[in-house]
Amino acid sequence: MMVKCVIWDLDNTLLSGVYLESGAQPPPADPAMVTAAAQLGDRGIIHAIASRNPPEAARYAARVTGLDFAAAECGWGRKSDAVRRIAADLGLAPDAVAFVDDDLYERAEVSSAVPEVLVLSPEDMAEAVGWPEFSPAVVTAEARRRGEMYAERRRRLQEARAFAGSRDDFLRYCRTEVTIAPAAAADVPRLHELSVRTHQFNTAGRAVPEPALRELIGSPAHQVTIVRLADRFGDDGVVGGCVVERGPDRAWTVTLLMMSCRAMGRGVIQALLAWLARSAGQGGATALAVPCLVTPRNVPLRLALAAAGFRAAETGPPDQPAALFSRPLTEPPPELPGYVIGEVRSGVTGP
Amino acid sequence: MTGGEAPEVIGELRQILARAAGREELLGLPAQTPLFGAGVGLDSLAGTLLLREVHRRFGVDVAGEDLNLDALATLGTLAAFISERAHGHGPS
Repeated sequence: MMVKCVIWDLDNTLLSGVYLESGAQPPPADPAMVTAAAQLGDRGIIHAIASRNPPEAARYAARVTGLDFAAAECGWGRKSDAVRRIAADLGLAPDAVAFVDDDLYERAEVSSAVPEVLVLSPEDMAEAVGWPEFSPAVVTAEARRRGEMYAERRRRLQEARAFAGSRDDFLRYCRTEVTIAPAAAADVPRLHELSVRTHQFNTAGRAVPEPALRELIGSPAHQVTIVRLADRFGDDGVVGGCVVERGPDRAWTVTLLMMSCRAMGRGVIQALLAWLARSAGQGGATALAVPCLVTPRNVPLRLALAAAGFRAAETGPPDQPAALFSRPLTEPPPELPGYVIGEVRSGVTGP
Repeated sequence: MTGGEAPEVIGELRQILARAAGREELLGLPAQTPLFGAGVGLDSLAGTLLLREVHRRFGVDVAGEDLNLDALATLGTLAAFISERAHGHGPS
């Protein structure tokens, strides 16, 4: 399992010393750990802090390390609880998280309470930079900016909490822009990365290799679509995509639909499903079907499909539940939200 | 069974939903208002938080038992879904 986020202890881990025992001048950053963290950041791995310190310590650490932290839990509770909260806050499964702490007791506590987490000492971490868990095969532009994007996300969430009004009002206030467009060859690495990294919004649950994606983009029987997301807090780049296969009988099958969990709550999946239903109607399709694995992890996707008027029929064997979601094209399609821009040709048309 | 038979469950669900969606005005939501679409506009984020809290609070795994999530049509249907299952498993 690839690590997507490293949660750092501060005292004697990311800092070379103990924050509260250093008097007026807190300890400097640990150069070996900062080097390792910066390397991981370049690969799209994000950072967070779990520390037995007051919240000022996290701000101090961000300043002296120069790193972007997507989340910080400072307090005197159990580290395993801090790790769980950070994973939940960032929408990550515990097996996508590593935890680095110099204290043997803390490492044992996190290991035993959340066994899925990869638990490391600072010495392990210096070496682990070369491990496969920390070495994604492709590093996209989106990946390199991931740390910054999580910092933007925090600012957005803070404003959202203070905002009085509906979610759609907030999306307008943020000047949310969702662009739906045909995929080009340059999008292949990012689409591959999304197929590997997305779980909560993924119908297929398997990695699609780059050559297969290139072939789909060139195939006259398929349309590969990308979705970009930006607002006044920042540009998230390509956050999702889908592959539509049109059958000989003008039936459209969405063989892959995926979206980054970072885009959750920002109207993206809603926009993509509305666009699919509308372009199927306009493109003369006779049916629109979305085969989808049914797992505890992709419940958010099922919620989005239900909200967009799709109905499911069970298809998979009991040990690998799957369903065929479909939407009758005789019914009026969902409204395309006002924040969808760009285009978007109306989709593939029949032969 | 109708939602009308589980007023306490509906009241609690209303609070869970308002918290999940971060919208206080949902505390006054009628039990028959559709949760999807124009009514409440339940999205996948608020929906996931709602289902997680329902599982924690009532021990009912709606997503695991209801492929189409029809239970989420309204607060009333969700309360009925929960009440049927909670009665089946709890002490009589």
